[in-house]
Amino acid sequence: MYGRKGYQLLKDFASGEKGQLKPFNSKLFDETIEECDQNHHLLQSLIRKMQQEDLDVPNNRNADHYGALIHHLSLMRNKRCLMAYVYNRAEIVRDLAWRVGLELLDLPSEIQEKLTSLEKEYFKNHSVALKSYMGKVGIELNVDMVPPKDPYIKVRILDDIDEGIVLSDKTTNFARHSMHFLKRTDAEPYIARGQMEELTD
Amino acid sequence: MASNSETRGSSADYETMMSASDVELLKRAWRNEKAAPEILQYEGALVERAKEQIELVEESVEDYVENGKDPLLVSLYQMDLDRTQFLLRSYLRVRLLKIEKFMFHNLKSEEAERRLSEQERVFATKCADDLAKHFEETVLLKLPENYQSVLKQSQISEVDDMVPQPHLDTFVVCRSNNFVSLNLYEEGESPETVEMERGDLYFIRYKIVKGAIESGQIDLI
Repeated sequence: MYGRKGYQLLKDFASGEKGQLKPFNSKLFDETIEECDQNHHLLQSLIRKMQQEDLDVPNNRNADHYGALIHHLSLMRNKRCLMAYVYNRAEIVRDLAWRVGLELLDLPSEIQEKLTSLEKEYFKNHSVALKSYMGKVGIELNVDMVPPKDPYIKVRILDDIDEGIVLSDKTTNFARHSMHFLKRTDAEPYIARGQMEELTD
Repeated sequence: MASNSETRGSSADYETMMSASDVELLKRAWRNEKAAPEILQYEGALVERAKEQIELVEESVEDYVENGKDPLLVSLYQMDLDRTQFLLRSYLRVRLLKIEKFMFHNLKSEEAERRLSEQERVFATKCADDLAKHFEETVLLKLPENYQSVLKQSQISEVDDMVPQPHLDTFVVCRSNNFVSLNLYEEGESPETVEMERGDLYFIRYKIVKGAIESGQIDLI
């Protein structure tokens, strides 16, 4: 049944949690591409057959014409499924760049495993585009993602961060489980990466 | 006595610190941009002024901290500064996200292209190139010829049918600033109009109020 593999590929994508990536399903992906190739060969052979019978290809509506039409439509549908799969994953990759950080190595390793090398390339290129825009405008756009309520917030450190991080107004020693009173803009990148948590009480 | 005159002087400073009308304009532009489904006109002059003012206030806040001024006042200035900075950053961010979402459409439609700033245009072209390259490497080069275009479904398609476009039909909440009378339907069909008094709230399709928003008669909420 033509088109079933494309449909399964998209169902696989949709079955993951919204906004979360699953590992790239190369098996289904390659199978869908194979199906496209198959469709194309059959399409071409049917058209050649019609040309050999000296029939005017666009205007003659016989059984071969409709067979060729089905192959063409199935090919287009598979192409749309494949592009939708890649496009939606790319959208999530861009979203990651905004939320977590623009450096590839900052992404937690569980996420890095799920990206193909091509997607990592895309992530790097996109980060470069964002950084160059931010550089030209002169304003950092990654901080301040949430409207500011208080300028200072209480945070607790979850992971071991290197000692002696220099913040905008003091140097502190971030030991695990210690609590600090930091400026919101300083703490945000750490919170986004999961190394700190905000204490709200 | 010295502290009294200081506080009186500083409250006068506070008024002049952030020009209130600019912040209002920025807030309005930000709200409109957030609610609209497509990208709106770039307020270049406003952004430039806001940037300058933010820099000025930042410098004065630093001065105050060094001179040991009343920490409560300093944190008030700081909070106001943070809020304005957030507005500016969020305004630019919302625009970038819209560009990312409708990459190919923005470069194709002249109307949309006119609304981008110079740097946004550069960003949009680079983004579209990156995505097209990503598509080609992942999918398109493996497909048969005639089906390798990013924008068209196949060589036979007459228009670029794989370009996602912003939905101009979405409903938005808007409030009008003046008395406005709008045509509800397309030209040529039955001309039903809706009339909005000043301050009325309406829940209406974006397409209809689009022109009025550009001219500033209606605000989105």
